[in-house]
Amino acid sequence: MRAAGRLISLELRHNAMPLMLPLIAALFWLTTYRKVMAMPPLWNVRAASLQMNSVIVFVAPLAGAAAWMGSRESRRRVTDTVSITPRARWARLLPTWAATTIWALVAYLGCVAVLYGATARQASWGGPLWWPVAVAAASLPAFTALGFAAGVFAPSRFTAPITAIAAFFILVVSTELIIGSHSYWQITPVVAYAWDLGADPGVATFYPFLPDLPIAQLMFLGGFTVTLLGALALTSEGARALRIAAVGLTVAGLAVAVTAVMLAGTGTMDAHGMIRIPALHDAADDQPVRFTPVCSRTAIPVCLNPAYSSYLAATAATLEPVLEQIAGLPGAPVRILQEAAAYKQDTCQGPGSRVRSGTCSPNGVEINPGSPMSGGSPLVYRLLLPAQLPGPALTTAQMASQTRGDGWDMVRNFIGDGPGASPAQDAVTAAIIMAGKQPGATATFIQNGQDGTDAGRAPGLTTGTPANAAAKRFAALPASARHAWLAGHLAALRVGQITVAQVP
Amino acid sequence: MPGSLSAMKQAKQANQAMNVEITGLTRRFGSATAVAGVDLRADPGVLGLLGPNGAGKTTLLRMMATAVRPTSGQLKLLGRDPASYAPRREIRRKLGYLPQNPGYYPGFTVAEFVEYFALLKEVPPSQVKTAVANVIDRVGLADRARARLRTLSGGMLRRACIAQAIVNDPELLLLDEPTAGLDPEQRVAFRALLRDLGQRATVVVSTHLVEDVGAACAEVALMDRGRIVFQGTPDELAATADGQSKGDTPLERGYTAALERARA
Repeated sequence: MRAAGRLISLELRHNAMPLMLPLIAALFWLTTYRKVMAMPPLWNVRAASLQMNSVIVFVAPLAGAAAWMGSRESRRRVTDTVSITPRARWARLLPTWAATTIWALVAYLGCVAVLYGATARQASWGGPLWWPVAVAAASLPAFTALGFAAGVFAPSRFTAPITAIAAFFILVVSTELIIGSHSYWQITPVVAYAWDLGADPGVATFYPFLPDLPIAQLMFLGGFTVTLLGALALTSEGARALRIAAVGLTVAGLAVAVTAVMLAGTGTMDAHGMIRIPALHDAADDQPVRFTPVCSRTAIPVCLNPAYSSYLAATAATLEPVLEQIAGLPGAPVRILQEAAAYKQDTCQGPGSRVRSGTCSPNGVEINPGSPMSGGSPLVYRLLLPAQLPGPALTTAQMASQTRGDGWDMVRNFIGDGPGASPAQDAVTAAIIMAGKQPGATATFIQNGQDGTDAGRAPGLTTGTPANAAAKRFAALPASARHAWLAGHLAALRVGQITVAQVP
Repeated sequence: MPGSLSAMKQAKQANQAMNVEITGLTRRFGSATAVAGVDLRADPGVLGLLGPNGAGKTTLLRMMATAVRPTSGQLKLLGRDPASYAPRREIRRKLGYLPQNPGYYPGFTVAEFVEYFALLKEVPPSQVKTAVANVIDRVGLADRARARLRTLSGGMLRRACIAQAIVNDPELLLLDEPTAGLDPEQRVAFRALLRDLGQRATVVVSTHLVEDVGAACAEVALMDRGRIVFQGTPDELAATADGQSKGDTPLERGYTAALERARA
């Protein structure tokens, strides 16, 4: 043991991996750190993105360095000298592989520490997700074993670059072959969430991170590593007991890896956007995460998951003008509560198309609010933040613009506006929105008659119609008069018993 | 002295196993026969293996080093048959080998390189440090122990490689052209080292340089075309020369005479 430790120490000092570290650091900064830090400070999205990007960053230099080390004895023409020592080949090579892997793991964990350290300073709630870190970390021994075996079995000066390129392409091609959530190829360590969804901000915040796929991936990577190392021992001379152990190890590793691939093939995306593998699934993971929402001090409080607390001020400021118009009225919501998104695979017409107040991911996953817009007693309105949907990070203005539409939807829902609504309901809805001094509301509802970005949201409000005139009229009333009228006539308005002419 | 040593060995042969016992050893590479039915026995002492290029010396040494397996014949080293793993491992613990073109890891220091081989040769960890320091001193590289191998001259590299071969204090030491690249002073020192090692171990030295054999070897075996065509003391080899033999020294003349006689 002491000798093995000393050999590893020597190998650590003379390993090719440290030469790769500047390249890895540069690639990590360029392709992972900058990208991840541009994402919202949410542990879920950053952890998933870290896994996906870091594996790709590490694989080529790592496999290349391992292949270089694996081919060292042949390249340096020491094969005869070392092969006549009593230490069996696998026992001689294992410290070299271990040293390469240790360097890789140290480098990777350093990258994780930097990124998670920065996230810890920025994130408002939750903690680091370790499953994605574990999967990416387990991929490193697997790729060093792959590169090392290539170097040992096909030693030449070209083995390292060829292995590096091949490993990179294997990884990239493996993701190209993923179709839907029911794919064996999900076993590739690049996949953190459902591949069609990517590093989605709405996943693993309201519900726990499902370890089903990571468990299968860890099984695969462990089995793959053991198989390759077992193959090294198989081809090495040794005592009968050692050879039997090597056969056992190789077969066991292979069996575990194949089982893991089969398990990954049974995975499906669940309603929370994560891959569920029935054989590995723990029902306890389906329970929502408990949290105390952070709420605004507005007439109707806007309450968000604490992970999204950085969005609270902007969201509340956007919704407050319309919410204060209805606050205190009979049947008005007591609060606006952020809700979890619900995910469905293969239901979208096309990328980016809207579904209710949700949307479709670039790869066609439908993302909707997980429950009806309003419900409960006392009444609560539910809100899906734009930040929960896939897409580029939004500016405050962009987010406010998208949230404003949700505010309008809430007013419509409150007044009973919608398909088949009366002109009076349309007029009152438009008036409340105008009175809320929502930027653009006057222009879109009154001047042009329609919201160009969301046609159909205010049917009947075209210029010159009685409803349009009624809306202008009602909006011009003092807030207290508008509020008093609504308090007395809301029930009748909702059931369509108020005409446009009766709107003051 | 070589003669009396040889007589003692012959007496010993009847009673106990020798360090090297080779009978009918053959090695073929495809259709080419590198070693053809060699018989050889050796006990502690320095045995010089002479022969022209392509005589099969290196292949014979590689078989004795357990680096390649014989095609046929019997090989017994240190009283064990290396055909099966357990005895082969035991032999390797007590074996030192310097190939003709020894490779090395240029980034390693002399001390690290020798330590690496000490660990591979399963020198007890508690003895590694001392063993490494001792052999580096014995080959005259004590002042360069911390120098990286890439910075050493050819002769120094050779000595570093000799150090790795003897770091486990071998009972059987196989050296293929060990003096190639050494300057005269180093060669003299190396011959002294060989004689010292030969006190306790069986040292087989393959070389082209007959003066090395004359100076350091108690016995000599001459190989040609895969066979041993002469085995005896350097004096006996020198005695095979006649008036028409070519060479500058008696040993060289004996060498050419023995070869011509074998080829006749």
